[in-house]
Formats: sequence, C-alpha cells, structure tokens
Amino acid sequence: MKLIKLFTPMFVVLLSSILFGQSEKVNDECANCHSQLGDELQKPADLYQNDLHSSLGFSCAVCHGGESKSDDMDVSMNKSKGFIGVPKRSIRYEVCIKCHADDKKMHQYGFKKSSNQYEKLKTSVHFRPSANNQGPIADCITCHGVHNIVRVTSPASPVYPTKIVNLCGSCHSNASYMKNYNPALPVDQVTKYRTSTHGIKNSKGDAVVAQCASCHGSHEIKKVNDSKSLVYPTNIPKVCSECHSDKNKMAVYKIPTDQYDSYIQSAHGIALLEKGDVSAPTCNDCHGNHGAVPPGVESISKVCGSCHSLNMELFEKSVHKKAFDDAKIPECETCHSNHKILPVSDDLIGVESNSTCVKCHESNDKGFAVAKHMRGKIEKLKANQIVAEKLLKEAAQKGMDVSDASFSLKDVRQKLIETRTTIHSFDQEKFDEVIKQGFEITKEAKTTGTQAIDNYYFRRKGLALSTLLVTLLVAGLYLYIKKIEKKRINQ
Amino acid sequence: MMTDNKLSIKKKIFNWLEERFEIQELIDFAHKKSVPKFRETIWYYFGGIALLLFVVQVITGILLLMYYKGTEDSAFESVQFISTKINFGWLIRSVHSWSANLMVLAVIIHMFSVYFLKAFRKPRELTWYTGILLLFISLAFGFSGYLLPWNELAFFATKVGTDISGEVPLIGEFILKLLRGGEDVTGATLSRFFGMHVAIFPGIFIVLLTLHLLFIQRQGIAEPEEWKTMPKEERETIPFFPNFALRELLIWLIVINILAILAVFFPWELGVKADPFAPAPQGIKPEWYFLGMFQIFKFLPAQVLFINGELFGIMVFGLAGFLWILVPFWDSKSSSGRKNRILNYAGIFIIIFFMIFTTLGFILD
Repeated sequence: MKLIKLFTPMFVVLLSSILFGQSEKVNDECANCHSQLGDELQKPADLYQNDLHSSLGFSCAVCHGGESKSDDMDVSMNKSKGFIGVPKRSIRYEVCIKCHADDKKMHQYGFKKSSNQYEKLKTSVHFRPSANNQGPIADCITCHGVHNIVRVTSPASPVYPTKIVNLCGSCHSNASYMKNYNPALPVDQVTKYRTSTHGIKNSKGDAVVAQCASCHGSHEIKKVNDSKSLVYPTNIPKVCSECHSDKNKMAVYKIPTDQYDSYIQSAHGIALLEKGDVSAPTCNDCHGNHGAVPPGVESISKVCGSCHSLNMELFEKSVHKKAFDDAKIPECETCHSNHKILPVSDDLIGVESNSTCVKCHESNDKGFAVAKHMRGKIEKLKANQIVAEKLLKEAAQKGMDVSDASFSLKDVRQKLIETRTTIHSFDQEKFDEVIKQGFEITKEAKTTGTQAIDNYYFRRKGLALSTLLVTLLVAGLYLYIKKIEKKRINQ
Repeated sequence: MMTDNKLSIKKKIFNWLEERFEIQELIDFAHKKSVPKFRETIWYYFGGIALLLFVVQVITGILLLMYYKGTEDSAFESVQFISTKINFGWLIRSVHSWSANLMVLAVIIHMFSVYFLKAFRKPRELTWYTGILLLFISLAFGFSGYLLPWNELAFFATKVGTDISGEVPLIGEFILKLLRGGEDVTGATLSRFFGMHVAIFPGIFIVLLTLHLLFIQRQGIAEPEEWKTMPKEERETIPFFPNFALRELLIWLIVINILAILAVFFPWELGVKADPFAPAPQGIKPEWYFLGMFQIFKFLPAQVLFINGELFGIMVFGLAGFLWILVPFWDSKSSSGRKNRILNYAGIFIIIFFMIFTTLGFILD
C-alpha cells in the first residue's frame, strides 16, 4: 500500500512528461518563424521556451489564435483561423481565464485546487478600471508576467515570497503612479517593511516570513477599510495567528504561539472581536503593520500611550518611571500584562495579595501606604455611590422627583474613571484632589435623597392631618345637619 | 356678656350689609327654595360636585399659570420646575390633574342622572343643552390640557386624537389644521392648545355655566316624574338653605378629602419630554374618557360597507351623539309625562357599552 502511495505521483509525473514531451515536439511554426525575426518580435519566442505553458505543450496559438502548424503567414495569422495578435490590454485576462477559470481543464494538468482566481480577482480592488481606462488596474500578466511564466512555487516567479515585495512595490512605492488612484495612500510600505523583522528575514531569502500576500491576500485583495479585507481590524488577529499560532512555523524562530489565545481573552480582544469596536487595538496597533517589530521595554508606554495618553503622561512624571527604567522593567506590561490585558479591576491597586503593588512594595515602605490609602478611598467612594443610589431609588419609588440628583450621580462613574487614571501618577495628593470631587457628588445626592424621603413623610403627615381636620369638619357638619333637620321636622 | 357681645357684633355686621345690599331679601328667597327629598336625591349633588371641581380647576390653574410656559422649548421644563422646585408645586399640579378627571366624571354622572330622572323634559330643554355644551367643553379642557406638559405620551395621544378628527367628512382637513396650527403636532399646536385651555374655553364655560345655573334658578330643581301623580301632602322636600346647601358642603368636603388623597398617593407623572422625531412609543392611549371611543376605533375594520372604517365610526358616533343631544325633542312621551322605558334601556346600554370598551382599552395594548 505504501509503495502504491509512493509510486503513484512518480507515475503521474512520468506520464505527463511523456505526453507533454510529445506535445513539445509538435512543430510550432509561430515560434520557429519569430525566433528568427530579431528584436521585439523575437523576444517572446525566446522567452517562451522556458515558460511553464510551453513545457506543458501549449502553442502560441492557444493565446494568440491562428494556425501554428502552418509556415505560411497568410494561413497562420489569418483572422478566419481566430488569430487575434497581441490581446488588447483591457481584455487580455480573458485569454488566461479560458483555462484558469475552468476546473475541468486545470484538473487535466494536475491542478487539484479550485480554479477560482478569476472569481476572487473580480472582487479585488485591483480589478477596478485603471486611470487611463485601458482595462483593470492589474490583471494576471501584471503580477505573473508573460511568455516567461513559471510556477508560483518557483523562486523565479515574480510572486514568489522573496520577490513579491518588490513586485507589489513596483506600483505601491511609486508615488506618481499611486496618486492616480489614492493620493492619501502612503507609498513607504516597502521601505518600512524592510525595517521590520519580517522584512529583514525576507531580504535574507526567508520565504516563510510574512510578506505582502501573507496579510493582504493575493487575488482577492480589498481596500484596508473594507470589512472583508484580510487586514480589516476585526480580521487582523486571525491573519497574524495563521503564522504566529503555528507551532511548527514558529519553532524555527523560537517565539511563543499563545499571543492569539491570550489576545482574544483580553479587554482589547473582547472589545474588538465580540463587541465589534474597531477602535480597540489589534495586533498592528501595538506592533506596527509594515514595519512590525515587538515593542521594546523602553518604548512600551509610548505604544500604550498612543491611546491611553493621560495614563502615559501621568506615569512619565511619576516616581515609577525612573524606578522601572533603572530596573529595566517594562512599564505598562508589568501591571497590566501584554497580550492578555484583562479588563482592569480595582483589585490591581492596594495591598491585598492579588494586587500588583505588593509585588514590589512591602508593608514598611511609603508605596505600600499610598496603595492602601488609594484603594481604601476608591472603595469608600464606591460604597457612598451605592448608598446614594439606594436613597434616590427609594425616593423615586415613593413617587418623589429626584431625576436631577440621579442624573448628577452618574458623574461619580466619570470621577471614578478619572480617579483610576490618576493612580498612574502614584501621587496621593493628586489622587485625593480628584476623588474629593466624587465624594462631593455622592454627598449631595445623599442629601437630596434623604430630603426627598423626609419630604415624602412630611407630605403623608400633612395629608393625614388635613384629612383628619376635614373628616372632623364633615362629622361636625353631619351632626349639625341632623340637628337642624330634627328641629325642622319637630316644627 | 361675651355671648351678647358676639351677637351684637354679628348683628352689627348683618345690619351693615343689610343697609347696603338688602341681604334679608336674598335669605328669605333662599329659605323659600326647596329640593325634592326622595330615594334618588343623591344624584342631585353631582352638579354641585362638578361646580366645586371647576372652582378647584380655576384656582389651581391660575397658580400653575404663574410658572407654566406654553412653548415647545420650555413647556416640559416649566412643568418639571413646578413639580420639583416650587413649594407645593407638585401638589397643585397633581390636584389640577386629578380634579380635571374627577370633574369630567362628575359631569358625566350628572348628565346620566338628569337623563334617567328625565329632568331634560319640558320646560328644561335649554338646561339640558347648556349642560351638554358644558360637558363638551369639559372634554375639550381635558384634551387641550393633556398636551400642555409636552411629554411623550401627551404628544402622541394628541397626534392620534387630532388624526381622528381629520377623518370627519368635508371639514376634517380644516379641523385638523385648525387644531394643530399646521400639518403636524408642533409648537404651534401647543401654543393654540394653551390659548384655548386658559382663555377661550374658560370664557365660554363661564357664560354657559351662568346660563345653566340661571335656568335652574329660574325654573327650580326638577321634580321626580312620580310626583305628577302624587298628592301634594305626600311630596317631601328639604329647604335649599341651609339644609341642602349644608349637605352639599358635606359632600364637597368628602370630595376634597378624596382629591387630596389621590394627589398625594398617586402624584401625576410627568414622563419624558416629547420628541417629534422619535418613533411613537407602544401603548399610546388617550385619557380614560376618550378611551372607550378610541378602543372602538381600533376594533373597526379598514372598510365597513364600502366606507372607510374610521369615517364609519365618526358617522355612527356623530349620529348617536346627535340623537343623545336631541333627546328632549324625540322623547315623544315627554309631553304627556309618561314613562319611557326605551330611554332607560338605551341609557343603560350606552353606559355598559362604554364601560366594556374603556376596560378593554385599559387591558389591551
């Protein structure tokens, strides 16, 4: 059985070479004649000798039409024989898709995959009309070449991983060309790429590392802001994980493969992938895209600070900045982790065993006392908020209007956020200044709630008193009416 | 000695007034007036209750008017301000809203009691007509006042209510635009509803109420039908003053107590501010006195006998209302003073019919 498995491909290759070897020997008068014409007319014939299609036995007439077996130009280049000469730029892809969009034909030549390149290309940004309206922006020939086409797995192919960067760059690094389509589009992708870890390794002939097509796709390339694009924010983690979660691929580079699994559990991953918040950071927001590198210890706060700017600003002025730098400890990452940045909880601050402060601070140092103070104040504000909310809820349930106070109390949430941000200054005075505003709001809300409840009971008491008075009046009046009516009847 | 002093002060005041206004004549007149005393006398008090509630409406309305602003931008906020910032503002607003509803209820009970006691018969036709007009104006007071807080429910209920008026044949479009002050319910609608609520309707109401009371004063309170065949000595009456007046006062005090309890225990909600661009919330309902009619309109199919459903409803209600108003004319037995059982059955049917549909309106969405 094993022998059958081993010899079957060998047999297919052998049979193909026999069959196509015979075809190659078919007399192609187009090539014969053109190989003697010199200059531009000879060049295609010379190049075609090494073309994959030539080795598969395709004559010139397969693409250009005409009768390739005849040495008479009037016959071989006769339009009645289907001769089209050089296909028009606008429709030259049609020559390719005659075979490459036909699964049956492609299967005959050993291609087992679906021949859907054209279907994908049609949806691509490259298949839009070119600026000069001469056909699609890019078609098959633009990338795969012509007359000297080789298999994509061949290092000689222009779309081979180590060559594709220059191929893409031939247009995308050309500012005067790109401005015809999108003047705002940067043209420094290749330059940046060459500075990235991917780019450096690619330049050294590593065909495994990511290049343009690894992230953007090949035939189906979409604009980056198209949600179907492979590099649309919500798709990026999956695209990066195609390689970075592959243990076999990453083993060579000796880097971990748990980043994707960590990221999807993180606050950022949940925001992006579960809540669809495209403003949440994905892989390239921290690592860069074309110039991707892992952020260094000294630059990590800058990366996080590009979004969490206030936190960064406060941290940079804090006592921790110098201490962390001296100890060569990564800044944000030390407390918040990197890929698995979980939603922040107040447990991070304080002196409990699960707080991050006690990793470095001990019970006899100042930092310990500050951490304890900050946590204590935050818990107190949260408790005050709950009490105020309960009071206002009780007042509202009693039918009292406390909508203004309830609305103001919502500001406590904002003050808590501000307070938590101020923690990054690690300055007790600054922290107290901010949290004080939160305490003032809860105090006011509690006063309003208490007053509203008191007012409610005052209304009830007032009602009871007035009802009693009116009832007494009713009783008195009733007795008086009885009296005068009795008197009237007696009269 | 003290009693003598008091009496002398009372006498002095009386003499002072008598000298100027001849009030003894009025007192003698009031003493002469009497009210029939029989098993249905209780219904005679509802006219007075409606009058009391109208007075409460006027007083609380004037107090609200001191802070209320009748514009699209500030109506809601001003009512909110009254309810939360003004001393006893919540109470005044709540009393105003509750007494409006109780007044409509009292007027409806008063109308049905007059109907069942046949008090509309000759010579009291004009008292009946002025009473019917007073009911219509009370409903118009309710409809216009409902919009004034400019909250979501009121906004959309007014939209639905005025939409129905737009279905009236020939003049529907005109009425719709007249009510709304344009194609849609906007700030212009609020302004004119405010104007009607605080100026036009009170003016008309006072005139009609004066006529209504004058007619009663001139013709006396209607006597029960069976008195026509009863010997005079068997007819029991009570003097209007002070006996009936004091009884009325006693009932007023009970009504005031009920009103205070309702206002304190069930303060009128304000809801959220109207947003003309927001979709209509679910369960939009008019005030209870329009709810029965509103529910019937909801049950009506789109087409009834080749007529638009809503138009059919308006025509049927219009005809029924017209017959109801003209009851003194077509009650053929009125001249002979005979009993008319069909009238009673029709009245009972109308009450049950509206009670069922009003209940359905509350229960169903």
